[in-house]
Amino acid sequence: MSEPYRYFLIFLGALLIYNILLIRFIALCPLIGVSTQVETSIGMAMSVLFVMTMASAASWVAWNYVLKPLGVGEFLYIPVFILIIASLVQFTEMVIKKVSPPLYRAMGIYLPLITTNCAVLAAATESVKPGFLKLNVAYHFSLPECLVYTIGVALGFGVVIIIFACIRERLETSPVPHTFKGAPIAFIIAALLSLAFMGFANLLGL
Amino acid sequence: MDWSLVWKAAIALGGLALLFGILLAFASRRFRVETDPRLNDLIGALLGSNCGACGYPGCEAAAQAVLDGKDSVDVCVAGGRKVAENVARVMGVEPTMAERGVALVHCIGGLEESVPKAIYQGIDSCAAADKIAGGHKACEYGCLGLGTCMAACPVNAIALDQDHRRWVNRDRCTGCGLCVEACPRHLIQVVPRNQEVLVVCNNRDKGARARQVCSVCCTACKKCEKVCKAGAISIADNRAWIDYDRCTQCGMCIEECPNRCIVRVAPRRRRRRRDLVTAGASSAETGS
Repeated sequence: MSEPYRYFLIFLGALLIYNILLIRFIALCPLIGVSTQVETSIGMAMSVLFVMTMASAASWVAWNYVLKPLGVGEFLYIPVFILIIASLVQFTEMVIKKVSPPLYRAMGIYLPLITTNCAVLAAATESVKPGFLKLNVAYHFSLPECLVYTIGVALGFGVVIIIFACIRERLETSPVPHTFKGAPIAFIIAALLSLAFMGFANLLGL
Repeated sequence: MDWSLVWKAAIALGGLALLFGILLAFASRRFRVETDPRLNDLIGALLGSNCGACGYPGCEAAAQAVLDGKDSVDVCVAGGRKVAENVARVMGVEPTMAERGVALVHCIGGLEESVPKAIYQGIDSCAAADKIAGGHKACEYGCLGLGTCMAACPVNAIALDQDHRRWVNRDRCTGCGLCVEACPRHLIQVVPRNQEVLVVCNNRDKGARARQVCSVCCTACKKCEKVCKAGAISIADNRAWIDYDRCTQCGMCIEECPNRCIVRVAPRRRRRRRDLVTAGASSAETGS
């Protein structure tokens, strides 16, 4: 497997084939909660891309230079990654607030949401323990691979949540039966979208 | 058991926590944004529902506007007097509160009074229903009863009963006027709170036609205009209008109106919704 091709596979796998929202159903709360308007879902997607990339890179460093040498990674990685994500979100919020108030107004309300976002934790975890790719059981990402993977996950999150928001905006004016209004119909739509995304399975042998 | 794992874990977690703690402490100093300490108190004093009735994007923006002196302490339209007092306390000034009015729906015709001419099965919105062949209601001016105003109300002051009559809870209504803009038929107005006698019909049809479409309608019979001693009532556009400045709340017109479309609303009296509905159905004593 050539080097660029492997990067491509990692990216595509994270983006579509093992899409974090629709195939693995991680981070359902933003999928249902922040997808009522296209505008807010774009804001959320941008914030997730930003935070997820930073969190995964930091987690990768912490795993490879702190946890693994000490041999405590296997049972300590979740608290450590949560610590990293929470601190990074706080830090990012402060920096953005100071450096770019307009960006803060656009992204600020989503940043605290991301602190407890399971997608970010999942991406951080998998960037050090790649689970899905059928590459090699003992395989570990290098830092560039980890970044490519995380950006793929975040873009997959963004694409799906924006598609979902577009559908939900049109659902607002559709004659949905009273019982199904709101979240129930959103879950049904998510299931249908998920079926569509399952069509990517086994693409390029992934 | 390998006890070395314990101190290794402690070192790893403690070390990283310390590192991030120092980083955050440094960042909070380096990237501090000077904010007025009153800002948080102000946000706490406001309702926090980000309803947007004040015209700002949210409660935080409204609080900022008050701090900057761009707006007065009664910025929160939905919160009314109570919130204005709290905001004034934070700002250390006397509460200046323009007495806001109360919303009034100029129509009390429900399904019983004004039988629909068609069955509407579309988007649950008055604006949409209004656009289709002049609405499904017989009266082309009356309330469509799909609850667009209820959805717009930030304080849940508007209720709808099973006969599609609207009731404004005057204790809850803060007179913010969001429903005024929401109603596609422009039936809602914010009227002075001390005004008790009100016309609750907006039908502009000629008398005979108006009687056809609704049993509680203004037919512009001019009886109220004649009986009014203060000269507060005038007929224009085939309906009665009360000049709130001249009205003495005597209620002569209420007794005179043959179609019961002038009503007296009880000022600031707490009623349960059930009472409102029964009172409205039996007589027109209670206003909407």
